[in-house]
Amino acid sequence: MSLAELIRGRRTIRSFNQTPVARELVAELLQQAAGLYPSAEDAVWRCIYAGTPESRKRLADYMMEHMAGSRLGKWMPGKMIELFKKRFADIPGHVVVIAGTGPDRQASDRNYAAVCSILQNFQLLGWERQLGMLWDTEPMMQSEGFYERLGIRENERFVGVLHLGYYNKAPRGRSRTPAEKKWTVYAGSQSLK
Amino acid sequence: MTLFNFRPELRGSGSFSGQSVPRQLVLELLNDAVWAPNDGLREPWRFIYADNDSSGRLSGLQEPAPAYLIVVMKEESDPYKRDEDFAAVCCLMQNFELLACERKLGVRRTMNNWIYDRKQMNAFGVQDKERIAAVLEIGFWDGDPGATPSPQMAEVKFDLL
Ligand SMILES: Cc1cc2nc3c(=O)[nH]c(=O)nc-3n(C[C@H](O)[C@H](O)[C@H](O)COP(=O)(O)O)c2cc1C
Repeated sequence: MSLAELIRGRRTIRSFNQTPVARELVAELLQQAAGLYPSAEDAVWRCIYAGTPESRKRLADYMMEHMAGSRLGKWMPGKMIELFKKRFADIPGHVVVIAGTGPDRQASDRNYAAVCSILQNFQLLGWERQLGMLWDTEPMMQSEGFYERLGIRENERFVGVLHLGYYNKAPRGRSRTPAEKKWTVYAGSQSLK
Repeated sequence: MTLFNFRPELRGSGSFSGQSVPRQLVLELLNDAVWAPNDGLREPWRFIYADNDSSGRLSGLQEPAPAYLIVVMKEESDPYKRDEDFAAVCCLMQNFELLACERKLGVRRTMNNWIYDRKQMNAFGVQDKERIAAVLEIGFWDGDPGATPSPQMAEVKFDLL
């Protein structure tokens, strides 16, 4: 598989099978992913991994415990919440990714960019090993209560949860707009007043 | 080849040779890079390219390079979407940098002060509901491949819940 094929062929996976995922593999791929980013040594970030049935269930609880009182939760019957939790806890692994924030917007942007880039490397490295992922940023997770449970500090931000596991079937990719359609050549200062 | 074994000359810094960058190559790599994950398939990016004569205006703002790719992103009013879009654009840039590296093309990703300056942005045709995510300086590296040893990587913090 060429690099271009890997990049084009990677799919977001939303349905995983029950083949266990080795925690060591996840940690190793994250390390490799960082190694493929030029100044990764400057990136401030950390991961929390839930890969055991017990920890996955706990993560699902953290996520849902604030639902009951929330705007979203009011419309969700208890049965549905339980079903959701079970589905969540059945996924073989969840990587919670947290990035540091800097003293100003530029510094924060740089760090966030580094972390996101490393996560793309991670997704590609996973794909190469038949490990599928979903980078999840659903509003449900973006709650203070959830952040508190995860121990996200003042100088940190939540990047997302990467759900992962092996899969039976990958969905078909949805095509992208050709770069030519999103491309302009800067005409130079002559064109400016 | 696998990405796992990819030991590219992943430099994020260094100087470029005078060799010009074929536009066709940049477009080809971008057409692979746009397969980045992006929430809601919003494809929140577009590109402004400058090389040769047209890059003059960038000379005070960026380091010298044969070509520049200004990566512009849509700026949603919803802050969550804005973060997701920024993340997606980063995935795209990372794809591009890996692909470029494979073709021996060097990329320096920059996020200098001026990209936050509305006036400067507008001069390049960036619209009001847009921002610049980064400027990629592109060229062929000057000198020996592997000349810059990669620094010792810190251990990724990986805690168990
Ligand atoms: C930063 C980021 C956040 C995302 N958040 C979600 C999400 O919350 N829910 C979801 O279903 N997909 C999410 N995705 C995945 C996209 O929906 C997916 O990339 C897109 O549909 C294209 O599919 P592909 O990844 O298979 O090419 C996210 C992707 C990125 C990069």
